[in-house]
Amino acid sequence: MTVPKQHAAALAVSLALMTTGEHAVAQTAREMEFRLEAGSLVSDRPGRTPLDAMAITPALRYSDSRVSLKTRASAWLNGQAWLLGSSHAELEVYQPLMYGIRAELVANASRVFHDPLVQNDQVDASGRLHYRRERGGIWLGSGVARPLRASAVSNVNVSSGGIWTRLGPATLRGSVTSFFFTKVSGDSITGEPVSCGSALNTAPNTGSPIPAGAMSSIRALPSTGCRLESRLTDLEGSIRWEHRLLEVTMRGGHRFGDSFDATPESREWASGQVAFWISSQIAAVAGGGREPAQPTRGLPARSFGSLGVMLAYWPIPRGVVPVESPANLVQAFELRAAGTEVQRITARIGGVETVEIMGDFSDWEPLPLIRRGRDQWELLVPMPPGIHRMNLRIDGGKWIAPPGMPTVNDGFSGEVGVVVVR
Amino acid sequence: MKVPSSRWSLVALAALLVPAGLVAQGERDPLARLPASLRYDVEVLMDSARIYGLPVLPLQSKALEGVAKRAPERKIMAEVIREFRSLRDARVALGPSVSVDELTAAAGALRLGITQAQLAQMARSRTDKILTVPLVVLADLVSRGVPKDTASSTIFQLFQKGAADDDFQSLWRGVERDIDSGTDPGQALLNRAREIPSRSPGAPPASTTRPDISETQDR
Repeated sequence: MTVPKQHAAALAVSLALMTTGEHAVAQTAREMEFRLEAGSLVSDRPGRTPLDAMAITPALRYSDSRVSLKTRASAWLNGQAWLLGSSHAELEVYQPLMYGIRAELVANASRVFHDPLVQNDQVDASGRLHYRRERGGIWLGSGVARPLRASAVSNVNVSSGGIWTRLGPATLRGSVTSFFFTKVSGDSITGEPVSCGSALNTAPNTGSPIPAGAMSSIRALPSTGCRLESRLTDLEGSIRWEHRLLEVTMRGGHRFGDSFDATPESREWASGQVAFWISSQIAAVAGGGREPAQPTRGLPARSFGSLGVMLAYWPIPRGVVPVESPANLVQAFELRAAGTEVQRITARIGGVETVEIMGDFSDWEPLPLIRRGRDQWELLVPMPPGIHRMNLRIDGGKWIAPPGMPTVNDGFSGEVGVVVVR
Repeated sequence: MKVPSSRWSLVALAALLVPAGLVAQGERDPLARLPASLRYDVEVLMDSARIYGLPVLPLQSKALEGVAKRAPERKIMAEVIREFRSLRDARVALGPSVSVDELTAAAGALRLGITQAQLAQMARSRTDKILTVPLVVLADLVSRGVPKDTASSTIFQLFQKGAADDDFQSLWRGVERDIDSGTDPGQALLNRAREIPSRSPGAPPASTTRPDISETQDR
């Protein structure tokens, strides 16, 4: 079997690239984010009474030029009892960009909780090669997942590839993920083993006869009963759109595979989440949709809906903002007409505490931008038609020319951005 | 009683008008932020600019910019004088019928080493087109390391061929991206300039006469 060799090769290439990262330059600043989401959650799967719970979900994200750590755990109050809901921890280690390529190693531990009867834990690891440009990238990866407490499933080999691009305030992603695993025949919902004979006659979940193609992958083993080799391929697309006070995330996908592995209710899925920032650190969040079954984990498809409030906090440890290259922190800078002789300045700058702008339109007096949401900054300024010069300052650092516009030397050892307003 | 009522109205009106008048008298004076000696020198230079028929706001703006950036007084004054000279030279090169924006953009190009002759060449071929955006792009390209002659001749040729402001803008973006990814600046400009389509000089796109490079892009 060649699949494990491919995983080993991918991990080895990732490790080799990571050790040569000394020649590259760090690309990202250190960033930390806390979120606390609280609200009502409804989870529903066929044949069960919908679970209605109050959920509290704290989350932490940390990233720097080498490591990214994301953790998220939720506690659900159902009736009188608190339950540990879906939780996730991810550690990503990567080398700095070298010729646009980054090697990434990712380790995950996750718990999926649908209701007290259906839950599952899993650990997985993968290696990825990621070719990144300013506005997009492409990656290829391979890894292995180990579901715990799922009697129906063995190790899962996962191969994936994807592409992403940034179009203005939107980030689009598309990915193809292929799962290959051997499962012990049985009811993949409950994990209850069934006899080899019944597995050969009927497909679990669907009740339909096993397709002819699947028959060839069934092997009767004397010690463990029937084992079935399964392959699934998920094609998924997502869009994340951030505009002023709104953050919208939508995703949808399609599953390929024979009906034995990809049940009809998991062929297509879609979900979405909207966050509306009421202030710089409080947002109203609503989400809902349908998640496909996860046969590798023995979990069925489900529908869900949520409504709540999110608190966010982004502490900036002193001295971590790279003052020598603050322009790298500016992910987007935009100037748009907002009325007669008034321009709306918006910027997306993550992990900073203050952003100021000054120019001839303010008689070179600094004007603080107002924070809107996580990374969004905004200000309305009077700016009559004509040529204008301006500078941007982040966290009281050096005055820089805003990105995305021509620059000229300012005569004072710096640069100014030049813009012509119609 | 009508009389006391109208008298009180007058008193009230006066009470409203007096502070308004005081506010008008104390209208913001941007030059008040300059140290006294610097302010005097800048005002003298602004008076001279008026005599030459040059705009004074760019001079005032340069002085305020220097103060905001905490530059030494001597350096600020030197830059204001440089701005004055550039505006004067730009006026000579472009002629009297240019807008303040074109003059300011041309002054920026002159400060980077573009010659008066090169500017005059562009001015002669301008007909009713506005030079502001091409000159802003020209100045940026030179400051990014594109050789002056290559930059000015390429921009001039594109301008002559009827390139619109949008064309100059996309040219600038492309060159910036190429330079960032390691391409030689001069070569980057020549490569990108070939992508700009020729337009009939008789029918320039509408945007040619309405410059706007206010669009921005993600980083």
